[in-house]
Amino acid sequence: MDAKLRAPEAKTHRSEPGGVLLDVQSLSKRFGPTVAVRDASFSIRAGEVHALVGENGSGKSTLVKILSGIHAPNSGEISVDGTRFKSFTSPRASQAAGIVTVFQEVLSVGSRTVLDNLWLGADGSFTTKVRKTDKAKRAQKILAELLEHPPRLDSRVEDLSLSDRQVCSIARALLRNPRVLILDEATSALDYDSRSRLFRVVKRLCAEGVGVMLITHRMDEIEEIGDRITVLRSGITVGTVDDEKWTTEQLVVMMTGSDHLAPAAARVETREHVTDAPVVLETRGLSLAPGQAPIDVQIRAGELVGLAGLEGQGQDVFLKSLAGLGNVSGDVVRTEGDREAVISNRENAHSKRIAYVPRERRGESLFEWMSILDNFSIATVNEDVRGGFLSPRAAARRFSDYVSRLSIKTGNTTNAITTLSGGNQQKVIIARWLATKPEILLLNDPTRGIDINAKRDLYRLLGELTAEGMAVVMLSTEVDEHVELMDRVLVFDDFECTHEFHHMDLTRQGLVASFFGKDSRDEHGLAQNQ
Amino acid sequence: MSTVLRRTSNSVAPKVPLAESMRLFFRLRPAAFATILTVVMLAINIAVQPHFGPVQQLAAFAPIALAAMATAAAVIGGGIDLSISAQMTFASILLVGYLTPAGLGGYIAIPILLVVGAVLGTLNGLLAVVLRLPPIVASLASMFILAGINLRLAPTPVILFDGWVLNLASQVWFIPGALLTIGVPLALWSFFVRTAFGRNLYAIGGNDATAFSAGVNVGLIRVASYAIGGVIAAVGGIALTALVSSADASTSSSYVIGAITAIALGGIVITGGRGGLLGAVAGAAVIFLVQNMLTLFNVSQVWLNLVFGALLLFAVITGSIIAAPRKENNS
Repeated sequence: MDAKLRAPEAKTHRSEPGGVLLDVQSLSKRFGPTVAVRDASFSIRAGEVHALVGENGSGKSTLVKILSGIHAPNSGEISVDGTRFKSFTSPRASQAAGIVTVFQEVLSVGSRTVLDNLWLGADGSFTTKVRKTDKAKRAQKILAELLEHPPRLDSRVEDLSLSDRQVCSIARALLRNPRVLILDEATSALDYDSRSRLFRVVKRLCAEGVGVMLITHRMDEIEEIGDRITVLRSGITVGTVDDEKWTTEQLVVMMTGSDHLAPAAARVETREHVTDAPVVLETRGLSLAPGQAPIDVQIRAGELVGLAGLEGQGQDVFLKSLAGLGNVSGDVVRTEGDREAVISNRENAHSKRIAYVPRERRGESLFEWMSILDNFSIATVNEDVRGGFLSPRAAARRFSDYVSRLSIKTGNTTNAITTLSGGNQQKVIIARWLATKPEILLLNDPTRGIDINAKRDLYRLLGELTAEGMAVVMLSTEVDEHVELMDRVLVFDDFECTHEFHHMDLTRQGLVASFFGKDSRDEHGLAQNQ
Repeated sequence: MSTVLRRTSNSVAPKVPLAESMRLFFRLRPAAFATILTVVMLAINIAVQPHFGPVQQLAAFAPIALAAMATAAAVIGGGIDLSISAQMTFASILLVGYLTPAGLGGYIAIPILLVVGAVLGTLNGLLAVVLRLPPIVASLASMFILAGINLRLAPTPVILFDGWVLNLASQVWFIPGALLTIGVPLALWSFFVRTAFGRNLYAIGGNDATAFSAGVNVGLIRVASYAIGGVIAAVGGIALTALVSSADASTSSSYVIGAITAIALGGIVITGGRGGLLGAVAGAAVIFLVQNMLTLFNVSQVWLNLVFGALLLFAVITGSIIAAPRKENNS
C-alpha cells in the first residue's frame, strides 16, 4: 500500500527500522487463584516478525488479550513507541495506541457485508471517520492483495468460506494501519494460498516499519518469516532467541524446561503394562474431519491410553467419538469376546459400558444447585428405587464406597456440590460414572484446575482401575501426565493421529517435539483440508 | 463444498437453483415476506369490506405498528424490550392526565414526551448493559413496574376532549395523521441506518464479541438502541391516545405479544443484527389485517390467540430457513 493511503498520523509516528516499537515489562495477570501470566517481558522492534511460542496454557492467549485491551494486567507496563501504559481499558484504546490483533477464532459479523466487516470499529460510535469512497477503494486494494479471487464488497460474510472470513478479519486489522500487528494463531483457519499471500503482506509491512508479533505453533511458519522468537513457559518469558540458527529441539527444551514442572504426575503405583489383554474398543477408519487420514486404534482391557497434542488438534473429537458423541466418519467398534457392536450414539455407548467424563465440570457435569449425593447418583438413580420411591439411604450407601475409594473429602453429603473443592467435585463426578460399572472409562482432561493432592488420588485410582481390567482413555493437556502415567500416548495434529508412543519410548521432549512435528503437515495434507 | 463455494462467489453466472435464489432474495430483503403477505391480505380486506376507510384503519393500525418498531430497535441491537407497551401507555397517561391539565397539552408536549421516552428507554438499556441482566428479564421487570406506575397515575381512564392529538386519528391538513406518526420515525430510522451509528448497531446485534474486539463501544450503542425504542414508544403513546381519545392504564401490556409477533414476521431475527423497521411495520400490518379479517368473517375473538401463535410459529420457522447461511463442511 502506498503511503498516501495511510492515515497521516500513522506515517509521522513510524519509527525507524530496528528501534523498539512495543516494550512489555513484567506483565502479570491472575484470574482468581490461577496465575495465567506470571512475568512476561519482551520487546518488538520496528520491522521484525517476532514469534511467541509456548505450550498449551503457557499464557500466550492471556498475554495477547492484555495487549489487545481485553484483559487488564495486575502489574507490569506496556510502552508503545515510547508512550507508557499501565493497561489498555478497551480494545479501542489498544488500537488507538497502534496495536491491532487478529484472533484465532474467526471473528466476523456474518449478517453484514464484507465492506462493513472490514471497517468495523474504525468509525466512532456516531460519526464516520473515513469517507465511503475511500473505504471501498482501500478495502478492494487490501483484499486484492490477500486473495486471488476477492469476494464482492457487498456480499455477506456468512456466505464466504471459513478461510475467506478469516482473511476479512485480517484485512480489517490491516486497514487500521497498525504499528504493531498481532497475529494470534491467525493462520490456522487459512488455506495454503491465503497464508502465503498473508506472509507476503507481512513482509511488506515489516519493510514499512511495522512490528509483527506472530503466535503460532507451526515451526515452519516461524522458519519462513520469523526474525526473533520469545518463549513463554508457565506465564514467564524464559528467553528470546535472536540467533537465526535455532532448532525446534532448542525451543522445545525452553518450552518444557529441563526439570519437571509438575512432579505431582509421578506415579504412585508401578504397574505392569498390558500387551496381550483382549481388545475392548477399536476404531476402524475413523476420520475426524473431512479429508483427514483415517485412524485405526485398538484399545485393550487394562490399558491406560493418553491423548495428547496441541489444543484443538482433534483429540477432543476423537475422545467424544469413542463415547458415541462425535460427528465423524468411520466406525467405533466395541468388542466383547466374539461380539462386536458399533458405537454410534451416547445411548449405545452407555449400554456397552462406556462412561465419558466431560471436560467442563461446570456446564457439562455439575448440577451446581444440587447436593453432593444427588450429583453422584444422577446417572444410576434407578438403583436407589425402593418400593417406587427413591431412597436417599440406598444412594448414600452406594456413595460411601466411592468416598473411601477416591478419598473424597466431603462433609455432609446433602450439602451443595459447590461446597467442595474443584478436585473433590471432580472425584464425585468420576464416582458418578464409575457407579455405572463401566468397562471403558473416557476422561476428558480430568485433572484440569484441580490441586496436586486430588491429582495424586486420581492417578492412584487410575492405577487401581486399570489393574482391575478397566480400559481408560484420557485426554490430558499436561505433558507430565502422559509421560509418567500412560501405557500408550496418541498424539494428534490437524485432526490426524500422527504419533504413537509406548511407555518406554516416552520422554517429555520427544512428546512435545511430536506436537510440533512438521512431517504430518506438508502442503499436500493442508490443501486437502480446505 | 467450500471450494465450490469460493469459486461461485466470484464467477460470472453461478447456477443457483430456484429455491436457493428465492431464499437469497428474502434474506437480502427481510421485509419482503411480510410485505407480500400484507398486500395479499389488504386486497382480501378491501374486496370483502366495501367501506374500508383507509384513514380510520391507519389510525387503528398506528399503535401496533409503532409498538413493533419500538421493540425492533432494541432487538436489532441484540437486546429486547418487553416494556414498550407500558412505555406507550405511560406517555399517553402523561399527556392526557398531566400535561394537558397543566396547560402543556399543546405542541410543547411532543418534545417533553419524546425526552421522557428516551429516558425510560435508556434506563432499560442500562439495566441490560451496566447491570448485565438478561434483557428479557430486565425489561419484563420494568414492564411490570411501569404498568404499576401507570395504574397509580391513572386508576380510571382519563378522557381527552380536544387538541391536536385527536387530529392524528383523522387528518392533519390533508395527510392521514397515522402516516405522520408511523412515517416520521420510519424516515428517521432509514437515515439512521446509513450513519456510523446504524452500522455499529447492526454489527453489535450480529456479533457483539467481534464488534467489541474491533473497537466498537458495544455498551453505548446498545443503550442508544433502547433509547431510540423509548422515543418511538412515546410516539406510539401519542398515536394510542389519538385512537382512543383517552389514556387508560389497562393498555400497559396490550401490545407486548403483538409487537414480538410482528417483528418476527417482519424478518427481524430475535437474536439481533438482521431486519429493519420497515419489516416491523409490515409484520404489524399482517397482524392487524388478520385481526380485521377475523372480525370481518365473524370469527370469534376466542381464536385470535391461536391465530397469533400459529403466525408466530410460521414466522420463526420461515425466518430461520431464510436466514440460515449456506452450509460449509469444515467450519
